[in-house]
Amino acid sequence: MSDLIRATRAGPVHLVVLALTVLVFAIGVYSSDRFATPLNLANVQDQMVALAIVALAQTIVILSGGIDLSYAGALSAMCVVFAMLAGDDPASFSLAVVTVLALGVGIGLINGGITAHVGIHPLIVTLGTSTILAGAALLLTNQPTGSVPVFFEDFVYGRAGSVPYGMIFVMALYVLIGTMLWKTRFGTRIYAIGDNEHAASISGLPVRRTKVFVYVLSGVICAIAAIYMTGRFGVGDPRAGVGFDLRSITPVIVGGTLLAGGRGGVLGTFLAVILLAFLGNVLNFLNVSSAFQWIVEGLIIVAAVSFFARRTGK
Amino acid sequence: MSDIALKPVTSSARRNKDTVRARNRREVWMLLAFLLAIWAVTALLSPRFLNPANLRDILVLAAPLGFVVIGQMIVIIVRGLDLSVASIMATVAVLAIGLGDNVFVIMALGLMLGAAMGAFNGYLVAYRNVTPFLATLATMIVLQGVRFAYTGGAPSGTLPDGLRFLSTGTIAGVPVSLLLLLAVAFCAHWMLERTILGRRFKLYGVNPQAARMTGAPVRFLVVLAFTISGLMAAIGGLVLVGYVGIVDNWTGRGYELDSIAAAVIGGAALTGGKGSVPGALLAALILVSLFNIVVILGMSIELQLVIKGTLIILAAAVYMKRRDN
Repeated sequence: MSDLIRATRAGPVHLVVLALTVLVFAIGVYSSDRFATPLNLANVQDQMVALAIVALAQTIVILSGGIDLSYAGALSAMCVVFAMLAGDDPASFSLAVVTVLALGVGIGLINGGITAHVGIHPLIVTLGTSTILAGAALLLTNQPTGSVPVFFEDFVYGRAGSVPYGMIFVMALYVLIGTMLWKTRFGTRIYAIGDNEHAASISGLPVRRTKVFVYVLSGVICAIAAIYMTGRFGVGDPRAGVGFDLRSITPVIVGGTLLAGGRGGVLGTFLAVILLAFLGNVLNFLNVSSAFQWIVEGLIIVAAVSFFARRTGK
Repeated sequence: MSDIALKPVTSSARRNKDTVRARNRREVWMLLAFLLAIWAVTALLSPRFLNPANLRDILVLAAPLGFVVIGQMIVIIVRGLDLSVASIMATVAVLAIGLGDNVFVIMALGLMLGAAMGAFNGYLVAYRNVTPFLATLATMIVLQGVRFAYTGGAPSGTLPDGLRFLSTGTIAGVPVSLLLLLAVAFCAHWMLERTILGRRFKLYGVNPQAARMTGAPVRFLVVLAFTISGLMAAIGGLVLVGYVGIVDNWTGRGYELDSIAAAVIGGAALTGGKGSVPGALLAALILVSLFNIVVILGMSIELQLVIKGTLIILAAAVYMKRRDN
C-alpha cells in the first residue's frame, strides 16, 4: 500500500480533492432525490469523458513544463476528418481511426519539433497550430458532416450498469499513462525536465527528444478524445473543440499539478475532473445559474493555485 | 591599464543600448515593409483594396485591437500574460450601457472599472504568487459569470450616441478612435522608451532579481502593468461596441488570443523585457488587414485563420533566429 502511495505520488492534495468530492456528493444527495440515481450518475460520467481524456494529455505536457493550447483546433479538425472517413463498416472505421491517430502524431511532431528545436515558447507554437487547424476544419466543412458506424455509436453510448464504457476506457487510459509516468524512464524524464530543464539538460537527459515525445503523446491522446467526441455527436462538427484549450487546464491545476511543471500527476487530474463534473451537476440541481457556476469555477482556480503555491513554496 | 581606467563608463552601456534600440527599430521597419508588401500585392490583385473607404475600414477596425495590444504588450514585457482582456472588454461594455448617456461619465467609470479589474490581476500575480496565465484565466471566467449574472443572459439598454461618435465620428476627416489611439500610443511609447518607469518595466522583464536589487518597486510595477492592460481593454471594449453598435455578452471574444498574437508578431517575447508600441500596432494592423484582404480577394474567410496561425509561428521563429545571431 505504501508503495502504491509512493508510486502514484498520492498526497494531501488528493485527500483535499476527495474530501471536496464527498462534500459535493453529500450536498447533492441532500438537495435532490434525483441526484444519486444510477441514471444521473451515469449521465454525469458521460459528460466528463471527453474532458477527462483531453485533461490527461494536458497533464503530461504541463508536467514537462510546457503547455498545449492546440486542442481547440486539433479536436475540431480531427472530428471532421474522422467523420468524413468513418463510413459505416469496420474497414473504413479502422482506416479513419488510423488516419486520425496519425494526424495526432503529426500535430504533436509539429508542436514538439518547433518548441524543442526552434526554442519558441510552447504557448505561442500551440496557439499558432490551434488557429491553423481551426481554420483547416472550417475549410473542410462549414457544417457538421459525415457519420460514424452504428457499432461504434453503440459502444460510445453503452453502459455496464451505471458506468459508461467510455468511463471504463478513461480509467484504463489513466492507469496506462500513470504507469508510464511512474514506472518508466521516459516518465521520470518528463518530471525531471519539468522540474528543472537546465539541470536535466546538463545531466545528459535527452531534453529535446523527450519534449517532442511529450507533444506527440499529447496529440495522440487528443486524437482519441476526437474519436470519442465524434462518436457522441454522430457527426464531425468543425467547431467541436472550441474552448477545450482553456477548459483542459482547470482540472490539471485543481488536481495539484503545477503550471511551472515537475510536480503533480494524473491521479490529481482524474479526481479533479470527477469533482468539477459533479460540482456542476449539483449546482444545476440547486438551480444555480451558469453565471454563478462560472464565478465558482474562477474562484476554484484561484483557491487551488494559492493553496498549492503555499504548500510547495514554488 | 590607465587607458582602460580613463574610458568613460557609459560607453559600453551606450553601445549596448544602441544595438538593442537599433535592433528594435529594424524590426519595426521589417513589420512596416511586410505590411506594405501585402497591401501592394492585394492592390495589384484587386482595384477595390486601395479605395480610401476600404483603407479607412481597416484602420477603424484595427483601433480596438490596437488599444488592447498596447496593454497586452506591457504585461508581456514584465513576463506576464493577460487572458482576461476580452472578458474585461465585454464586462465594461455591458456595465457601461447602464450608466446613463453622458459619454464622459461612461468613459470615466468604464476606464476605472477596467483599471480595477486589471489591478486585481496584478494583485493576484504580485502579492499572491499566482501564475499570470492562471490568474487572468480565473478573472476571465469570473467576469464572464459577473456579466451574465448582471445581464440575465441578454444585455439591455441603448448605446449612447456619444459612444457611437467615438468610433464612427470624425474630427477633420480623421476617425475619432484613431486620434485617440494615436494619442494613447504616443504616451505609451514615450513611457516605455523615455522614462525611468519604462526602463524599469523592461529591466524587470529581463531580470526580476536585478530589478529588485536596484530598488525598483517590483510588485508595484507588476500591478501597474496589469492595471494598464485592464485600462486599455476597457477603452478597446468601448471603442468596439461604438463601432459595432450593439452590446453583447461576448463582445471582444477572441481578442485575448489575437492581442497575444499581435504582441508576439510585433516583437514581444514571452520571456519578457522586449517589445515596442509601434511594432505591436503594426502587427495589429497586419492581422486586421489580412482579414480584409481575404474578403476582398474573395477567398474563404477561414483561410485567414490558417494565415494568422502561420504568421504567429513564423514571426516568433524569425525573432528567435535574430536573437541567436
